[in-house]
Amino acid sequence: MISLQSLLAAGFVVVSGALEPDPRQSPTGAAPIRIEQEGALLPRADTLRPVGRMAVEQLQVPPLTFEPPRADQHEVDGVPVFHLHDATLPLVDFMVQIRGGTSHFPRDEMASVSGMATFIRNGGTQSIPPDSVALLADLLALDLGFASGGGGTVASLNTLTATLDEGLDLLRELLTSPGFHPEAVEIWRAQQLEQVRRREEDPMSLAYQEFNRLMYGDHPVGWVLEEEDLAAARLGEGRLREVHRTLFCRDRLTIGVAGDVQWEEILPRVERFLSTWPPCRSELQPAEEPELRRAGAVYILPRATEQTTIVLGQPGGRRDEESREYFATQVGNLILGGGGFSSRLMRRLRTEEGLTYGASSVWTNPRGYEGIFGVVTQTRAERTPDALRSIAELLEEFRDTAPEADERNRAVEQIANGYVFAFGSAAQIVARQMNNHVVGLPERWLERFLEGIQAVEPEEIRRVVAAHVEPEEMTVLLVGDPTRFDPRIEGFGPVFRLSPDGTVEPWDSSRP
Amino acid sequence: MSQSATTWTHQLRRGLRRALVSALLGLALPGVTDIEAQAPDLPVLEHTLENGMRFLLLPREGPATISFVVHVPVGSVNESLGSTGIAHVLEHLLFKGSTSIGTEDVEAELELFARMDAVHDTLVRERGRVPLPDTARVKALEERIRALEDSARTYVRTSEYAEILARAGARGLNATTSYEVTEYFVQLPANQMELWFILEADRMRNPIFREFYVERDVIAEERRARIENAPRGRLWETHTAAAFQVHPYGVAPIGHMDDILSISRPAVEEYYRTHYGPDNTIVAIVGDFDPDSAVTWARDYFGPLERGKPPPPVLVREPEQRGERRVEVRADAEPQLRIGWKTPSIYHDDSPALAVLVNLLVSGRESRLYQRLVRDDRIAASVTAASGVGRRYPGLFTLQATPRSPHSPEEVEAAIYEELQRLHSDPPTTTELERVRRRLEATEVRRLTSNLGLAFQLVDSESYWGDWRTTFAWQARMAEVEGPDILRVLKRYFHDEGRTVGILRRSEGTAGGNGDGEVR
Repeated sequence: MISLQSLLAAGFVVVSGALEPDPRQSPTGAAPIRIEQEGALLPRADTLRPVGRMAVEQLQVPPLTFEPPRADQHEVDGVPVFHLHDATLPLVDFMVQIRGGTSHFPRDEMASVSGMATFIRNGGTQSIPPDSVALLADLLALDLGFASGGGGTVASLNTLTATLDEGLDLLRELLTSPGFHPEAVEIWRAQQLEQVRRREEDPMSLAYQEFNRLMYGDHPVGWVLEEEDLAAARLGEGRLREVHRTLFCRDRLTIGVAGDVQWEEILPRVERFLSTWPPCRSELQPAEEPELRRAGAVYILPRATEQTTIVLGQPGGRRDEESREYFATQVGNLILGGGGFSSRLMRRLRTEEGLTYGASSVWTNPRGYEGIFGVVTQTRAERTPDALRSIAELLEEFRDTAPEADERNRAVEQIANGYVFAFGSAAQIVARQMNNHVVGLPERWLERFLEGIQAVEPEEIRRVVAAHVEPEEMTVLLVGDPTRFDPRIEGFGPVFRLSPDGTVEPWDSSRP
Repeated sequence: MSQSATTWTHQLRRGLRRALVSALLGLALPGVTDIEAQAPDLPVLEHTLENGMRFLLLPREGPATISFVVHVPVGSVNESLGSTGIAHVLEHLLFKGSTSIGTEDVEAELELFARMDAVHDTLVRERGRVPLPDTARVKALEERIRALEDSARTYVRTSEYAEILARAGARGLNATTSYEVTEYFVQLPANQMELWFILEADRMRNPIFREFYVERDVIAEERRARIENAPRGRLWETHTAAAFQVHPYGVAPIGHMDDILSISRPAVEEYYRTHYGPDNTIVAIVGDFDPDSAVTWARDYFGPLERGKPPPPVLVREPEQRGERRVEVRADAEPQLRIGWKTPSIYHDDSPALAVLVNLLVSGRESRLYQRLVRDDRIAASVTAASGVGRRYPGLFTLQATPRSPHSPEEVEAAIYEELQRLHSDPPTTTELERVRRRLEATEVRRLTSNLGLAFQLVDSESYWGDWRTTFAWQARMAEVEGPDILRVLKRYFHDEGRTVGILRRSEGTAGGNGDGEVR
């Protein structure tokens, strides 16, 4: 207990019934802040031009004049080829998309399909050993990139125009006659095994993997590479060649070319590039549509960490770009948590409550299966219930009340005014058009997307949120230390203990 | 775009073309060896205001966007014990708006600031009381600050600064604080250039550090995410602290947790006044804009700022290390290894050879350590290197390796020393060096293809070397590195007396893979 007299003697005053020292006796001795005009901290001369809010409000912004470049679409030997000439620099980007990924194969091919991009990059060709491929790439300053995912493989070459032929020959060799050198396969396998072993060290990555597994179950989207997937027998050369033959064939290709090469110059090179690609033997069968988890529940994955990683979400529907609902989901997500510092989640959890460094929402809308609406954040263990409470309140508000017109306008302007960034480089433009073509989006999708976004009304956002966001049906995953917060989380359904191996059991607080 | 900007764009194209061809191909093809391998004649317009603020303007045809980078050569080396992390705290606070943006009533806010700052002074004294603080009083004071900040928030327009930029279509609004540099950057549509001048000049002319105490909590969360929650982050912090016992490179730029939570607003204001004078600020603007307008706006918006006093120099130097140092971090995690050797600053003649050595050792699948540790011995899953910590002062060349189970960090460590020793008996070949040069140059030059990358490169070179062209000259110096240079720096710096080793080990009692392939 502190007496009023002692406080007064120590320089305190009582304000609003609480303890507060007298700022006039600030022990730091710092000079008080002076406000000059708008409150400058720095001494300054008269300004030539005003700054601050009024200046922003009075600013006359000229219209943005730019003609969005667009790649031409051609067809070469039945393969769609997108081309955009840009002579700014003597560089050419040559991009190849190959449809078909882990979602088109059974689980026992997960490793062979996931690792295919690396095996091609590092395994040499049937005529060039791996070391020579690397030497060629270095000496010709070629930038070769390969990536494989659930839906396909992407390969890219960035080269000086002067070495385009050499680069294309090498890229073609790698893609059509891979060497699958056993050493490259074994190194990848060992690295993946080590990653499996270290999977729990990065709480965010662990949380994403486990959340996908909870939501999608035994479906390619929910699969996580495990030790048994990486058995050496599953990565034998025979199996790799079979997977390669199935995937790397002409009918699955889409090609893009951007940079310092005219169509007439690149056409014969594309023809040469395609000359060794065989036709496909069969159509790929995509995985069956997943059954997403819909019952509300809280899963706690105990980890002795300082922060709790929180991921929560529920099925968010699938994309129908002909429907206005899709555009409402995009604007709604931007308002809730996709819009950076000015989104509701960041304002509330970070700026106002200091609970987190980052909070965001996602609303994925795949075309082939149902996506996820979700929220992600990290907060110190003791504040876990506070963060969940704030998120729940924001979701309720998001669900029940349409955004104000100004908030809707802000989100739409953020997208519309930033439209120009979709045309940052020729390679970016070509890659986007390729991707739109591959996933079957309509012609001039970007323009249609912008029109769709600008037409979204606040009430449409409320409706689509009400249709998809139901906090009581959320799957909530907490990766953290439940000894530092009360695991009796309310409002999200029953609480379960989740083990890293996927085992689920009802939460028992008496268990360590 | 104006006529002059169009002319510049042609110059830019020519300059970049020459840089690309000379850097990427250089010696590879006959007929191009005579191309100048020095700085490209990029049409950068250098403009310095009377108050010393420097602008590097590079108009560039292409997408109708502009990239802005504000570079202040200030970071955690410009801090003192007890206020570590203050440069980074300031960086966060400069997103809070100004005396007009972000507020409904700045006078009311300032009145509350003074009150909560005074409570904070008392709180800090109470927390530091020995032998023990009065926890009830600490809690009461903390609650009082929260209550005052809640009161102040009633006057705040939350995130207005970021909202204005977002609404204008901005992309990538962010900032970074490192050991010796703080940079603020954003990209805007080309028609929003004047908006950037208004907002940036406003936050330099009229900064206000609102939402101060809650922002400290945000930064504490950032630290938890990067360090406390990340076993490798903890190893990095511990290892660097062991290597630098005197120099501020030994403290992570984010600062110590206790310092973050006790830094005061007046201290941040003072830090701002000391280090953020216009004469200590460099701006690069690259993109589709009219340079005449940029020069006019630079003068009109930033001209009123008065020149600052020269910030205090960093005088402290790390004493010579006279013996190996070893540190260990225990965590619920698989092993990790870091080895650091003391090296000179980038201004030293040995610096280019050290940069080439980093790549020779770990860059690509053909690098020495990858081949030995990952490919041949199969005792590591990966190996990486970094030369630096910071760059202005003598730093640390660090190797980091991820042992592959069941191999121990010590096995990997021994193999690394053997491989370094082997460089003496089996020195780098001409081909090895040529590949490294090509890779380094290609990476640097490809950075120039983006407006933002180019803007960073310009301010960086201007800040470290006093001339934006020097980056290219430095690349040329790397191209001159030969085998004997590599052996010289190996002998000079890679000895055990100047070595600091950090090992991350699994805490006893925590679960872990059993080493024979079983995975938890």
